[in-house]
Amino acid sequence: MKKPKPPFGKYFRESSELAYGQSVIVAARWILVVTGLFLILWNPDPLNNLRIQVMTIIMLALMNFYLQTQILMGQKALAPVVYAASIVDFVVITLLIWLNGGFASNTYVFYFPAILAISVAFETAVTIGFVGSAASLYFLLCLGTGAVMADNFPALLSRILMMVAIAFCSNLYWHIERNRRSTAQKAHERLLAEIRRGHIHAPKTNGQEDDNEHVS
Amino acid sequence: MNTYPNRKQEAVEDIFFGQVVIIWARWFVIAAGIIYALWISTNTAQLSVAILLLGAIVSINFFVHGRYLMEKPINRSLLLGLSFIDTLMVSVIVFAGPGQHGIDNYLFIFYYPLLLAFAFVFPQTLTAIYTVITLLAYLAVCVVATPQLITAGPVLETLIMRLITMAAVGGLGTYYWRIQRERWHALEETFQSAT
Repeated sequence: MKKPKPPFGKYFRESSELAYGQSVIVAARWILVVTGLFLILWNPDPLNNLRIQVMTIIMLALMNFYLQTQILMGQKALAPVVYAASIVDFVVITLLIWLNGGFASNTYVFYFPAILAISVAFETAVTIGFVGSAASLYFLLCLGTGAVMADNFPALLSRILMMVAIAFCSNLYWHIERNRRSTAQKAHERLLAEIRRGHIHAPKTNGQEDDNEHVS
Repeated sequence: MNTYPNRKQEAVEDIFFGQVVIIWARWFVIAAGIIYALWISTNTAQLSVAILLLGAIVSINFFVHGRYLMEKPINRSLLLGLSFIDTLMVSVIVFAGPGQHGIDNYLFIFYYPLLLAFAFVFPQTLTAIYTVITLLAYLAVCVVATPQLITAGPVLETLIMRLITMAAVGGLGTYYWRIQRERWHALEETFQSAT
């Protein structure tokens, strides 16, 4: 009797798209770490808050260092690890927003590079899950911290719409490039099959004479 | 017959296939602009001006989108020109639009999807130039509109954070563009060695 496949199993398998896209996620996280460190030290909070913030940045940096070394050593991307790391990113950004006043905080701009990074690495369904959760959490957080006033509502809607725009455009580009490669690869395989059957000559490379005789 | 494009052809195909990303980024900005105009306008004159301007942008984007769907996309120069007009338009809105101006105007967020879409379509040098121009435009708008606030510590921190994240979006976008190009070249080498 065949074992039933787990419903979301395909999102946790090895994927070349994830392997290439995770470099972008790691780069985005480095930007978050460096900028975050710079900003918390520019205008430091009281000592206890500062300790927590610095510890959070250090933990993020260590996690990112591990993922960076995996890329440099050419190790395969483990989807659950990459997903978990991205969840931590969004949790950290949301926490920073909450600690800095919720709706009034300007830290929401860190969502944009984070969303870009996951949208070019993850499948569409996973991207929708991540961005939907982040946007919903941000929306609820802002509603609880001042966006309920009529003047602030268009600002909140615009921010969420731009988060969705970044995710949509990034994932659209991901699809376009994947389809282009797939089409070219299929054409390549057809061409190779034709060459093997002897119906056509192999294409010339630069400076190469065409010595092949046509075989019908 | 080579199924993989050479470098020149790659650039042309990037424009052909990629411009839909710019088109959709502009649709999102238009949607947010319409919501903003409808909500924030306090009199009919303000709303009329906003809707007229948005109507012009909608018409242009509709024309570009229509050409793309008919598989006759616009050329590189026109696409480039429209992208710079987008940046100019957002800068004008941040500087002189209804509501608050300069650093206090929250519509600077329109820069992000436009920067991202540009980075996915155009080569790295052009993206770097466009990103720098966008950052300078926003910086200039903030300094001119609210000069007294910029020297204040917390506001300067906010400005720097926004500039860094805008640069990050442009940089990450073009980094991913380069990853895709390298994948193409690797496939091309595989094809050539196989044949």
